[in-house]
Amino acid sequence: MIKQLISLLSITLTMVFTTPVWAEDLTDVETIINQATLAAYYRGEDGRSEARMLIEDAQGRKQQRQFTILRRDHEDGGDQQFLVAFSRPADVRDTVFLVEKHAKTDDDRWLYLPGLDLVKRISAGDKRTSFVGSNYFYEDVSGRNPDEDNHQLIETTEEHYLVENTPKDANSVEFGRYQVWIEKISMLPVKIEYYDSSDKLYRRVEVLATEDVQGIPTVTKSRVSDLISGASTTMEFRFIRYDLGMESSVFTERSLRNPPRQWLKRPQPL
Amino acid sequence: MMAIKYWLLMASMVISMPTAFAQEPVKGSGSETPSDDNWGDDNWSDDSWTEEQSGSSWHGFIEAGLGGRLQEDTAVNEKFSGLDDTTLADLRLRLETTGFIGDNRYALKADLYADGVEQGVRVDLREASYTFSASESTDVKLGQQILTWGTGDLLFLNDLFAKDWQSFFAGRDTEYLKAPVAAAKASYYGESASLELVWIPVFTSDRYINGERFSWFSPQAGENVAAPSGRVDAKDPANSFANGEFAARIAGSVDSTEWALYGYRGFQKQPNALNEKGQPVFTRLDVLGASVRGNLGTGLANAELALHMAEDGAGNDPVMPNDQFRFLLGYEREILPKLTLGLQYYLEQTLDYSALRAASASPYNPAQYRYLYTTRLNYRMWQDNLTWSLFAFYSPSDDDHFIRPSVTYRYSDNLNMVVGANLFGGEKAHTFFGQFEDASNVYGRIRYAF
Repeated sequence: MIKQLISLLSITLTMVFTTPVWAEDLTDVETIINQATLAAYYRGEDGRSEARMLIEDAQGRKQQRQFTILRRDHEDGGDQQFLVAFSRPADVRDTVFLVEKHAKTDDDRWLYLPGLDLVKRISAGDKRTSFVGSNYFYEDVSGRNPDEDNHQLIETTEEHYLVENTPKDANSVEFGRYQVWIEKISMLPVKIEYYDSSDKLYRRVEVLATEDVQGIPTVTKSRVSDLISGASTTMEFRFIRYDLGMESSVFTERSLRNPPRQWLKRPQPL
Repeated sequence: MMAIKYWLLMASMVISMPTAFAQEPVKGSGSETPSDDNWGDDNWSDDSWTEEQSGSSWHGFIEAGLGGRLQEDTAVNEKFSGLDDTTLADLRLRLETTGFIGDNRYALKADLYADGVEQGVRVDLREASYTFSASESTDVKLGQQILTWGTGDLLFLNDLFAKDWQSFFAGRDTEYLKAPVAAAKASYYGESASLELVWIPVFTSDRYINGERFSWFSPQAGENVAAPSGRVDAKDPANSFANGEFAARIAGSVDSTEWALYGYRGFQKQPNALNEKGQPVFTRLDVLGASVRGNLGTGLANAELALHMAEDGAGNDPVMPNDQFRFLLGYEREILPKLTLGLQYYLEQTLDYSALRAASASPYNPAQYRYLYTTRLNYRMWQDNLTWSLFAFYSPSDDDHFIRPSVTYRYSDNLNMVVGANLFGGEKAHTFFGQFEDASNVYGRIRYAF
């Protein structure tokens, strides 16, 4: 009898521990979107990464951007702080960008222009215009508030959730709708396709590579393509590190005028 | 048969699994080495990642700029030189480097330029500074540096750090509006506020309009004058500790609204007074002020005020500036995607005005309430590679204006060009912008950055 119980228990335990591997599909689209937002924008308490962009216009001309980005979350899914220090190209070298991202209201943004020693506060702008001259939008980089769209789960495949998104305020955005493919295993959005008001596909954001960083699935290469003009921007992330223990005070005017070397310098390999 | 089928299925799964796993490293770029980067044939394949680590390196730019008057300036023409109508003729080399000694940062930035208007080769040391942390919450920056604070857009109430009006009027890059100063700056960052103290041991005046490049209105002559006879050559105050400049700012924020208090002790930044011999001099100036800046609606609002306490506190000396009250209101927002509109109202009230009027019946006395509006329109297109900008000052009280249109084209990461104009005008010959009517100019610059 005891033997049977133990064997039953072991079966039960095996099932309990193996269940996550065979996790049931999520069916609540809000849960999916929230998990995807956390996976894409809120991993760790804070993080740092170096990034570079290759911008190719329709004529094939190339431009580059290179910067180091620091991020700290006030709370998961809520307010965040960003510091972006540019190192390339020459005309933006040493320019620093500070953002207090608010989930509920407009972000507060500052730009430090070293040539003028000027801390310039930037008015809340259209979040769907070019980020530093690339094909990425400001919102692609900092994250679009999930509450701004209606979501519908339209397909669950072996690997992905496919979610259809329509804006609550159609006048505030340039798209009519967009579809997101969310990778089930990482919950990372790996492909986003945007359709205009006449339902023509015109823009695609896709993840080209991910990597496990401190146990966290992390996008290391992505591309945005303007399917009308043929322009595109490829972005790469390197030297990523999570949970450095940065304090809120790292994201203040002090860091604009005197960028925090301690956090900007490349970390030692783990 | 069943068993065979079962094993075939198992085998196919086993075979297919390595394939699935094999895709992972391709998908995950963990094993990707820099040389694997498919960045095409651009010059980035040298791998810019490595350069960031290598520390100090030299950068800079080469720039050529040319500008000319839209009309003759008879005051300047008395010089009878072929370059009278030229307002900008620069060939400039910038070299700069930054690096770290431990966690302390040094920066060196110098311009070498040939100036065709003032005819000479000059060096402008823009920065030679060393920044270190004196304690966990205190930064100290020593050396030649650019200093800026305050909330105005091209209007300065509490920012008494040196400006370069010659460069600004001639159409050099906006960066050159700020002149470098040799200073020591200590910044303390507390929990709820920060404190900045600046000491400029040797008084550094503005690079003011001195009659070399642009003529200026002389109340004594009753008309515009220029070099050589009309050159303003004011002597700086004698060097001493007391004659240095001291500036302070306490700043903090409440939610998204930033506040600041300012103080300054030094001298008028332009020689706008006369001594007993009738020579232009810099007189004492103390300033106290405050500012706030925060979100208002979908835009950004700011307000700033300053009390300029001049040497002629009673206001009854006609050749010395009176006390002034300065006030600024500003609002900026993006009115359409990529189109930003900024509006400002600025007031300069001359205090003790009746004393001034009693002492001087000059028709060139400043208006008691000089006020002006500014408009900034910025529009970016072609993926931010083309920027249209229009900045306009208009003063109803002085009945004069200063309009600054420009178009900047960023051809590549290295090459950009700008064409623009500085258009002055006014009803009266002596007002702030009106006196520069004949300085109105168009300019173009082309810059190769490396």
